[in-house]
Amino acid sequence: MAKRYLILEDGSAYAGEGFGAGATTSGEVITNLNLLGYQETITDQIYHNQIIIFAQPAIGNVGINHDSYESILPTAKGMVVRDVTNISTNRLSRLSLDEFLQQHNIPGISGIDTRHLIRKLRQGAGPMKGSIVDVADAHAFDQLNATVLTNRQVDQVATPKPYPNPDTGKNVVVIDFGLKHGILRQLSERRCNVTVLPWTASSQDVLNLDPDGVLLSTGPGSPLDLGTGVLDMIREVQAEIPLFAIGLGHELFALANGAELKALPVEYHGSSHPIRRIITNDIIYATQGQGYAVIAKSIDRDRLITTYVDLIDGTVQGLRHRDFPAFSVQFFADGAPGPHESRDLFDEFMEAMTAREG
Amino acid sequence: MAKVVVDAMAMQRALTRITYEIIERNKGVDDLVILGIKTRGVYLARRIASRLQQLENVTVPVGDLDITPYRDDIEHDAQTEPEVTGANIDFSVEGKKVILVDDVLYTGRTIRAAMSAVMDLGRPKSINLAVLVDRGHRELPIRADFVGKNIPSSQRERIRVSVSEIDDRDAVEIQQA
Repeated sequence: MAKRYLILEDGSAYAGEGFGAGATTSGEVITNLNLLGYQETITDQIYHNQIIIFAQPAIGNVGINHDSYESILPTAKGMVVRDVTNISTNRLSRLSLDEFLQQHNIPGISGIDTRHLIRKLRQGAGPMKGSIVDVADAHAFDQLNATVLTNRQVDQVATPKPYPNPDTGKNVVVIDFGLKHGILRQLSERRCNVTVLPWTASSQDVLNLDPDGVLLSTGPGSPLDLGTGVLDMIREVQAEIPLFAIGLGHELFALANGAELKALPVEYHGSSHPIRRIITNDIIYATQGQGYAVIAKSIDRDRLITTYVDLIDGTVQGLRHRDFPAFSVQFFADGAPGPHESRDLFDEFMEAMTAREG
Repeated sequence: MAKVVVDAMAMQRALTRITYEIIERNKGVDDLVILGIKTRGVYLARRIASRLQQLENVTVPVGDLDITPYRDDIEHDAQTEPEVTGANIDFSVEGKKVILVDDVLYTGRTIRAAMSAVMDLGRPKSINLAVLVDRGHRELPIRADFVGKNIPSSQRERIRVSVSEIDDRDAVEIQQA
């Protein structure tokens, strides 16, 4: 394997071994703390334009399998790992991680002291750009510093055209901001007849399909860059139809209902934070991935109820509208990868649709 | 043979949803009082009240009504109407929004008796009905405002609700007569 480098905006360089594609890429460097689920992570569109550092030291040991795609065409910019393993013992595996990354032109770098790197990023004051390069010279740093990352991430990864995912149950419209397939899988398990609409859909587009429920998907980037049209859509739809929002969808649901967001100094991607479900005062764990959080003080208590809260960093993890069956969670309720105990939020969504029928 | 139709998780979710629906419908929890109908309804009422407490940090008064059993598993004399035999309500219902809570809604006669009992205590602003299970076969024009689960049933079947407070587990089961 070729010697390659991870270089960071702050001028530091880390030597390691390349794997996957030999491409030179730049992106925002973020840390994923999950112990499991590298395939779900690398294929999740929330990592668009990001280079992912894995805290789990051994990556690649179950290859790539057909059950764990969160998107078919991954758009992450790279993987940084301690050890890459290409011995796959998973019976589902048909492809090694190395082959998969080569096919999708995503570079990986191994042999990096990820513990040191993660500690350093955690102390950082904001997002950090990085590149995976062949030579860590002044030219490479100039290139990195000149790189401007797009803020049109949702446009790049979300579907431009509607498509169906037919079944025989409830009619559900999914608004795609760069959805993870786990959402579609959970709806399929519950026999939902799904229509996925582009995020630019108007409330009229949604209501024309006469859905029993509407789901706002996860997605990458900042909800503040998406304009106000989508917020109008949310306000108009939530008053008519049960609504469930996840991740970026949750952030937009909050904005649409008057709350404000803050960018986190360091993005959080992991599943080790206990989350309190306020209504029953019990604890759940869920896969989380967020660069933004709802500012608790900005929540208008006459419009929204806080339903879940992260007990480690205090961030708002769930909201519900006071007047309508509309609710949202910051964490990934589809549980792909990670703890499955939040999946019953999809049952809650189903029951909200059934209750509406009377 | 008993068949579980609502398991513990589903029962928790149903009570959670009913709680949110109560907030939605009443625009908050002001003037709310909750009355559970003995036996299982009392525990369900307390669970809803504790959820409201968690969410809104407000203590909603909870009382209970004891009504002579009009159980669907016992052959009853068609002439006997259920009666309120006791009430444990240490607050006024005058001008309040009363939520009646029962486990199973069946003929509606228990609820009618409960409503009369509430009316005897004062003039509430409104009475709403929350039930965990609506099994149909109404004999009176009564309808629940908040329903955990609709279980269309035959009159030969028996619906049994268990709550962990007294039955060691949460479940709704159907038994063939």
